[in-house]
Amino acid sequence: MPNGQIPKRGMPPGVLPMLILRVLQSEPLHGYAIAQRIHLLSSEVLAVEEGLLYPTLQKLLLKGLVSAKSGISETNRQVRFYELTRKGREQLKTELSDYDRVTEAIQDVLRTA
Amino acid sequence: MLELFRRFQYLLNRRRRDRELAGDIDFHREMAARAGRPNIGRALQLREESRDAWGWTWLDRLAQDLRYALRVMARSPGFTATAVLVLAIGIGVNVAAFSLFDMFALKPLPVPNADRLVRLERRSLDQYTSEMAYPSFLFYREHSRTLSAAMAVLGVPPMQIEDDLQGAKASFATANYFTELGTHAAYGRLLDPHLDDASSAPPVVILSYSFWQRRFAGDPSAVGRTIRLNKKPVTIAGVTAYDFASLGGQGPEIWLPIAQQPYFVEGSHILTDFNSSSVRMWGRLAPGISAESAAQELRLLTDELRRQHPSAVWDREFIEVSPGGHLQVMKPEMYRIAAMIGILTLLILAVACGNLGALLLARAVQRSREIGIRAAIGASRARIFRQLFTESLLLAAFGAIAGLILGCVVIRIALTVFDTPKWLSAVPDVRVLAFASIVALLSAIFFGFTPALQLARQGKHKTTARQVLVGAQVAGSCILLIVSGLLVRAAHHALYTDPGFGYERLVSIDPQLGQHGYSAAQARNYLDQMQTRLQATPGVRSVSLVLLPPLGHTVSNSTTEIDGRTVIIYPNWVTPGFFDTMQIPIRLGRTFERGEKNVVIVSESFARVQWPNQNPLGKLLGDSAHKNTVIGVAGDAHVNALNDDDAVEQYWPADDTQLPGMVLMVRTAGVLKNLPKLAKTMSESIDPELFPEIRTIKALYSENIQGIERVAGIITFIGLIALTLSSIGVVGLMSFTVIQKTKEIAIRLALGAKPASVLQALVAQFTWPAIIGLIAGTALAASTSGVLRRALYGISNLDPLSYALAIAFLLAILALAAIVPARGALRINVSRALHYE
Repeated sequence: MPNGQIPKRGMPPGVLPMLILRVLQSEPLHGYAIAQRIHLLSSEVLAVEEGLLYPTLQKLLLKGLVSAKSGISETNRQVRFYELTRKGREQLKTELSDYDRVTEAIQDVLRTA
Repeated sequence: MLELFRRFQYLLNRRRRDRELAGDIDFHREMAARAGRPNIGRALQLREESRDAWGWTWLDRLAQDLRYALRVMARSPGFTATAVLVLAIGIGVNVAAFSLFDMFALKPLPVPNADRLVRLERRSLDQYTSEMAYPSFLFYREHSRTLSAAMAVLGVPPMQIEDDLQGAKASFATANYFTELGTHAAYGRLLDPHLDDASSAPPVVILSYSFWQRRFAGDPSAVGRTIRLNKKPVTIAGVTAYDFASLGGQGPEIWLPIAQQPYFVEGSHILTDFNSSSVRMWGRLAPGISAESAAQELRLLTDELRRQHPSAVWDREFIEVSPGGHLQVMKPEMYRIAAMIGILTLLILAVACGNLGALLLARAVQRSREIGIRAAIGASRARIFRQLFTESLLLAAFGAIAGLILGCVVIRIALTVFDTPKWLSAVPDVRVLAFASIVALLSAIFFGFTPALQLARQGKHKTTARQVLVGAQVAGSCILLIVSGLLVRAAHHALYTDPGFGYERLVSIDPQLGQHGYSAAQARNYLDQMQTRLQATPGVRSVSLVLLPPLGHTVSNSTTEIDGRTVIIYPNWVTPGFFDTMQIPIRLGRTFERGEKNVVIVSESFARVQWPNQNPLGKLLGDSAHKNTVIGVAGDAHVNALNDDDAVEQYWPADDTQLPGMVLMVRTAGVLKNLPKLAKTMSESIDPELFPEIRTIKALYSENIQGIERVAGIITFIGLIALTLSSIGVVGLMSFTVIQKTKEIAIRLALGAKPASVLQALVAQFTWPAIIGLIAGTALAASTSGVLRRALYGISNLDPLSYALAIAFLLAILALAAIVPARGALRINVSRALHYE
C-alpha cells in the first residue's frame, strides 16, 4: 500500500476519491485530465500527486465506483477514460452531503467558539 | 462480494490490466513533460504501488519466494534430502498415530446416519456394566420416544458347527440389526424383522463373509443348506457383505436371531430374566433428537423400570449415552491413552524439528553472505524473513508429503497384519490430510522461525540458540527412551515373573450351567460329578470351583476409598480348594471350610492398605448387617486384573445360588493334552445339551502378554528413531562448531595446546545444555509416566533400572556424537588452516 505520501498544498486526507468522482460527474476523463481538472478547478491550490492518483483510481475501479474504457488520447496513445458508474454517482451524492454536513459543523464551531 | 469478484478478474487478467496501467502512466508522464514537469517519479514504482491496490502483491511475492526456495533446495540436494527425511520421520509417526485414532474414534461407520447411532450402557455412581438384561432392553425399546430404533447383541461362547473341533464365534442379534445398519447380504438374505423376530420362526444363521470363505470355501450354494449348530439343525440364510461394518467393531463368525436363543441354549432364561446383564444395547436417535435429551428420557424410563422391577435397577442408576457411530466407542480412559501416545509422537516431531532447526542454523553461516547482498540491494528485514520462512514452509510441505506416504504405508501394513474390518482403508481422509497440514505448518514454525529471524537480523550467530536446541533434543529423547525402557521392562516382567498364581498346566472348564437354566441343585449335582470324575483322572492334581476364572469373559470390581486412597477391589467367589488349585499361597490363617459362611479371605495388599501394621485375622469386613470375619490372607494374585498392580482381592465362599455360574478349575501334574477332550466326553455323558468352554490358561496368558510385547516393540522402535534423530543433530552441530572454530583450534594447536584440552573446550559448550536436557527430560518422564501404571504389569513408573539404562544409553550416544566430529578437528593441518582467508 502506498503510504507516507502527504498531499502537497493542504489536500485533506481522504478527499481525493471524492474529488475524482466529482470531476468525472460531467464527462469521462483520462488520468492526466483528472489531475489537471482538479488542479485548475481549485484555482491551482490543490495538486494531485501521481503517486496517489493512480492507486486511488485502481481502488475506485475495484469498488465499482468508476469504470474504464479504452480510448485514444490527444497524443494518439492508448489510454483509459474513466467514467462514473451508477454506484459511483450514488456514492458521490452521499459523500457530498456527508461532507457538507461536516464542513457546516466545522464552520459552526469556528464561527461561534 | 462484487468487489471480490472484480479482484479475481484483475488476478486473471493481470497482464492486460498492467499494460493498461502502464499506458495511463506513460501518457501522464508525456503530458507532464510537455507541461514542463519532466519528472513525475519512477514510473515502475508508481505502477507497482498502483498494482498494490488490486491486493495480489502477496501472491506475486509468494511465487517469487517459492521459485527462489526451490532453486536454493536444488542447489544443496544433500541438505534437502536430510531435512525432508528427518521431517518425514517426525511427521510420518504422527500421521500414523493420528490415522489410527481417526479410524477408531473419528471416522464414521459406513452406514446411513452414523452420527445418530448411540451406545447405551448402565452406569451409577460406583457401578458400571457394558451389558444390560434383555427384558430391560425390551422395556427401553418399547417406551422410548427419543430412539427411533434399538438394537441388542448377545455375545455367547463359541458354538459347535457340525462336528468341528473348533467352535465358531457367535452372536445373537435383534432382527433389526442389519436393516438398521442399511447393509445388504453378499448372498442370500440377512436377518429380517418380518421373518426372524419370533421364536416360532424357522431357525436361521447368517455367516460372516470371512467365515463363509474359510469354512464353506466361499461356496454360494452353502446358502439354504441346513447345518447343525450345537447339534440343533439350522438353515444358512445368507452371508454378510465383504466390507460389512458392525457396531463397536464386533466380528463374530456367525449371527443368529436373538428370538431363537432359547432354541440353541435349552432352558435359558436370558430373554426373560431381569437380573442377568447379557446384551449390548445400541440405539438410533430419532431425527432432531440430541443425545442429551435421549439420556434425559432414558433416566425417566429407568425410574419407571425400578418401580416395576426393583431388583433390575441399581441405586441411582442411569443409562449412559455415548456416540456409537465409530469403530470404537471411546471411553475417557481411552482418550487418556490416546493423548499419551499423541504426546510421545509429538515429542518425536519436536526432536526432529529441533534437529532441523540446528541444521538450518548451521547453514545460516554459509548463507550470511547471500543474505548480506540481498539486504544491501534494498530488501527489508521483513522481506528476507518472509523469504527464509517460505523456504522452511516448502521443506515442511515436502516433509509432510513424504510423512503422509510413510504413515499410510505403516497403516496399510498394520491393516494387513492385524485382522481388521474390511471397510477400513489406509487412504488418508480429509481429517488426516488436515492434520498433516497443520503439523507441517507447526513444525515449519518450530524449526524455521528462529533461524530465519536470526538470519534476517544478520546478527551474530550466537551459540545460545544452538545450546537451547541441543537441550530440547536431549530432553525429548530422554523422555522417549525412558518410556520405552519402562515398557520393555514391563513386558519382561510380565513374561518372566509370577502373576501370583501358577498359570501353567491350568485349565478352566466353563459349562455355562446358568445359561442352560440349571437350578442350584442341578448345578451342584453336575459340578460334583464333574469334580469327582476329574479328580479320578490320572495326572489331575486338583480341581475346584470359581465364579470369575482368570482371563475370563466377565470382570467385576468395586471401587472404594480407604484413607483417601482410591482402591479397586476385585472380589471373587470360590470353593475351599481354589487356593491350592491356583497355587496361591495362604500367608496367614487358613482357607475356607466346606459350608462356612460370613468369612472372607483377603489379599496381602488389601490387608496392608486396610489395616496397616495390624493383624488382619479376625477383623470384620462388610456393611453393618452382615459382618464377615477375615480368616485368612492370601498372596497377591491379580487373577482378574493382570495389568493392574494396584488391584487388591477379596475371596468369598461361594454359596449355593452361585453354583449355576461356577467354572471348574483343573490343575494337572504334567501337560495333559487330551484333558479338553476327556472333559468334553465327561460333560456330555452327564448332560449332552451342554457345550462347555474349555480354555488353557497358559495360552490365554501368553496371548495377553503378546499384546504388550508388541506395544513395547513399537515404543522401543520409536524411541530408537528419536535417539537416532537427536544423535544426528548433535553430530551436525558439533561438526558445524568445528568448522566455525577451525582457525581458533589451529591457533591453539600452533601455540602448543594439548589436543585433550582443545577437545574439552569444543565439547564444553554442549555439556551443560545436555545435562540440563537430561535432568528436565528425566523429571518430565517421572512426573508424567504415572498414567502408564496400568500398562506396566506391576513395574513402578519410577523403576530405577529403566531410568538408569535409558540415561546411560543416551549419554553414551551423545558422547560419541560429540567426540567423533571433534576429534576430526584435531587432525586439521595447522598451517593451511591459518593461511586460509
